[in-house]
Amino acid sequence: MFDKFSTFMDEKLSTPMAKLAEQRHLRAIRDGIIATLPLIIVSSMFMVIAFLPNSMPTDWGITQFIAANQAKILLPYRVSMYIMTLYAVFGIGYSLANSYDLDGLSGGILAELGFLLTIIPASIGAPSEAVAALAAENADLANYLATIPSGFVLPMGNLGSAGMFIGILVAFFAVEVYRFTQKSGFKISMPPQVPSSVARSFESLTPTAIVLIVVATITMFLGINVHAIVGNIVSPLIKATDTLPSVLVLIFLVTFFWSFGIHGVSIVGSLARPLWLVLLEENTTAFAAGTAVTNIAAEPFYQWFIWIGGSGATLALALLFAFRSKSAYGKALGKTSLVPSIFNINEPMIFGAPIVLNPMLIIPFIIAPMVNGIIAYLLTSAGMVNAVVASAPWTLPGPIGAFLACGNDVRAALLNVALIVLDIVIYYPFFRMYDNNLLADEQEEA
Amino acid sequence: MKVLLVCSQGMSSAIAAKALQDAAAKKGLEIEVHECSTQAFAEEIKNGYAIGMVAPQIRHRYDVLKQQADAAGIPCVLIQPQGYTPLGGAKLLAQIQNELGEIK
Repeated sequence: MFDKFSTFMDEKLSTPMAKLAEQRHLRAIRDGIIATLPLIIVSSMFMVIAFLPNSMPTDWGITQFIAANQAKILLPYRVSMYIMTLYAVFGIGYSLANSYDLDGLSGGILAELGFLLTIIPASIGAPSEAVAALAAENADLANYLATIPSGFVLPMGNLGSAGMFIGILVAFFAVEVYRFTQKSGFKISMPPQVPSSVARSFESLTPTAIVLIVVATITMFLGINVHAIVGNIVSPLIKATDTLPSVLVLIFLVTFFWSFGIHGVSIVGSLARPLWLVLLEENTTAFAAGTAVTNIAAEPFYQWFIWIGGSGATLALALLFAFRSKSAYGKALGKTSLVPSIFNINEPMIFGAPIVLNPMLIIPFIIAPMVNGIIAYLLTSAGMVNAVVASAPWTLPGPIGAFLACGNDVRAALLNVALIVLDIVIYYPFFRMYDNNLLADEQEEA
Repeated sequence: MKVLLVCSQGMSSAIAAKALQDAAAKKGLEIEVHECSTQAFAEEIKNGYAIGMVAPQIRHRYDVLKQQADAAGIPCVLIQPQGYTPLGGAKLLAQIQNELGEIK
């Protein structure tokens, strides 16, 4: 009965849905953004360092040194995570072009060009004589003027997560133009005698010209503020992602896919990661500026308070198998899966127990992360734990990752440990039942 | 003989890779197992592998990965879920022999 039901669900629902996430544009977003993750994780750590003084005694020399140089320590973050869309757009263009069997590099460059055309450079001239005269009398004004660069500058605000959705759209547009010109023959073609490298350089002129003229016309010549328009459209979506119901829906989807043995986060993340990144980057920006951090449910929130030990909060289950199992199989499984689980790798658990298509373990596999999500969400919104502001490497053990991700908050580490204990309680009855079954099978065979 | 395992990020496949290596060593077979992420697969599979093996949790990407392996002229199989555990090395080995014939 359950077999029929699960086969039906797998064939009719989970696998087709998973295949949908393999649609080439979604795949391009996923791969483009994943390519920026090392950059986000490493530059997040600069954030952690810059804000170490918050959790160290103020009279230490190192504390005072870091505090005095905070802005400087954050500069690498400003040219990496702070402007992550600039990097993601290249990756998206590259990946989408590759999926069409077009030159990835050209696709990446075209996408980047299109994106930068939505960022209007400002020209900053030297102060007028009147301003200079005022500055001569006012030291504050003189100091302020000294900090202003002259010449052309690119405002950085929309190069980060704020520009993420424009970046995605423009990357799609640029690569689709590229594809159209290549496939339709609507391009400058050279006679066959011309060397192929020269011919290619001319072929790439047409899509470049179209992207440049179309985007520049909209953003620069007509002066339409595309960032404001798209920002208004996606902001309700971003807000919705940050609510408890949507946290629970996403948890359900991820664990639902995993219940069929499909990598849930990689599917749900294809759609949700851009939104998660916007939430995280807004928090990081606010944290760096010393203003209130308002978002709760960015990706590190899931990583450190929900997916403890991997999707389904399976560290608890690995601990149970390792220390409470009576069956020989359970003991062997616990022994081999515990260490990977500590580092949040739980495929050994999911396929080994198995959790996949195993109703006895699927129930806590879905319930435990939901309970984690509710508790962590409520505690974070009540201010009992800092909201996440950094993206710590996901293979760190839970309490350490939680501490770092929440801006050096010891309470986050404690919450992580408390949730592991709670998950053990949730998993225990189901584990007991399943382990007894294993034991009975083993005794029957013996 | 070289075998390439591919999973979402090349993390969990490292565990299966070790299990496979151990299972092969037990039988006195010489197998070199590498692992990679889905993004790296298309390039990596070109480096002289006998077979590519796709982790079960990314089976929705199997078609795409199979095409990439086909393009390189390398056979590619989807790993059975029961083989994708630290204890499943023997099953992985059996699956390879099933596909490629006995390994010397």
